[in-house]
Amino acid sequence: METIVSNAVITEPKVLDALRSVMDPDLGRDIVSLNFIRNMKIEGGVVSFDVNLTTPACPVKDRLREQSRQAVLSGVPGVSDVRVNMTAEVRRPPQPQTNQIKGVKNIIAVGSGKGGVGKSTVAANIAVALARTGAKTGLLDADIYGPSIPIMMRSVGEPEMKDGLIQPVQAHGVKLMSMGYMSGEMPLIWRGPMAHKALQQSLLGVNWGELDYLVVDLPPGTGDVHLTLVQTVPVTGAVIVSTPQDVGLQISMKTLRMFQQTKVPVLGIVENMSGYVCPHCGAKDDIFGQGGAVRAAQALGVPLLGEIPLDAAIRKHSDSGVPVVLGEPDSPSGRAFTEITGKLAQQISIQAFKSIPLTIIED
Amino acid sequence: MLTTPDRATPAEIRKKKGQGITIRWQDGHASTYGARYLRGLCPCAQCVSETTGQRLVFEGHIGPDLAIEAARTVGNYALHFDFNDGHTTGIYSFDYLRRICPCEECA
Repeated sequence: METIVSNAVITEPKVLDALRSVMDPDLGRDIVSLNFIRNMKIEGGVVSFDVNLTTPACPVKDRLREQSRQAVLSGVPGVSDVRVNMTAEVRRPPQPQTNQIKGVKNIIAVGSGKGGVGKSTVAANIAVALARTGAKTGLLDADIYGPSIPIMMRSVGEPEMKDGLIQPVQAHGVKLMSMGYMSGEMPLIWRGPMAHKALQQSLLGVNWGELDYLVVDLPPGTGDVHLTLVQTVPVTGAVIVSTPQDVGLQISMKTLRMFQQTKVPVLGIVENMSGYVCPHCGAKDDIFGQGGAVRAAQALGVPLLGEIPLDAAIRKHSDSGVPVVLGEPDSPSGRAFTEITGKLAQQISIQAFKSIPLTIIED
Repeated sequence: MLTTPDRATPAEIRKKKGQGITIRWQDGHASTYGARYLRGLCPCAQCVSETTGQRLVFEGHIGPDLAIEAARTVGNYALHFDFNDGHTTGIYSFDYLRRICPCEECA
């Protein structure tokens, strides 16, 4: 594949050399050694290739495209045009062979120190935002105390059994399973062992198929369900949802410590109910205090994924069953959720590259 | 990002048939545990009293031909063993395993 244009030979190694100057800012390595460059074609002075990222939700996608284009245009003599096609393939972190859900690449736990901080809202919006980018996404509502995901996602009907597996419900491009399906209208009044069994079945007994991300909405606090989750499957990482006030009271710290003790990396903190903007005068009121999550994130060395304002649009769309990130993506809260999801996807990709496979070698 | 200390994060876990478990940790240290030693330090509620924290089962109680029939990982943070005496309830976190390393340096 060599073409002579204005006396310069364009070769694949030359193009790759030029692309070595483009760094993935999260993984801290160049895109060539990360093996992102695929399907290179050189036709005349026109070079085309794919940049295969680690997540379709990558927030620096456009920047990397432009940097790649410029690097080849200015770094390889004779190139008249560069066509960059951005693709993505979510990598599976190295995982133990036992006890994983076949086909599920990443499991993300969404937890909180206490109830009522908007954990399920955050989980639903993250799942829908991931699915919007083209990622294959599932959402497991593991909140046995108040399963609210089916309402927020407007999923009607109950999952069916097929070949001994529960078939998840589809809603807004997300595969959905809820503990709420297990009891219908009745509350779940369960001892620990029941909750344990129900979660195991919701993880391993569901036909999830191929998933890039499975978001698990946990009950508030730390308890049976959390322990079962971290003992049953290798969790890629956890997101902690908190209000500014809650962080001030350090309740979320306990949840954080639980994940730490069970070696689940904490991917970041989301601050919800972060100030209220008056729709009449535009003034911002920090009802629950200010900056708590920023300080907690700094103190703990955990990324702050973002702050979601108190916004009537969130409540309106949640109640009508269309998460705000889909119902009103350009609202302040819709934009905040999109940004948070992008940062989360970055953290997951970093984690996938960092982790070491945990397997027992039998001699 | 929260990182757990390298000393309690395994780099490699090996199970030698009939001889127990060897863990090489990320700080370079290696720990070798015999099956009887592990069984005698089982952290489960049957082997350690839940109310007093007193150890109820010791290595001295364990028969000489005890072996690990199967070993598997628990999530990201622990190991679980099926012993051939039928005992299967212990979850040995990596933090715990590092603490009970039987080598001369650590003991």
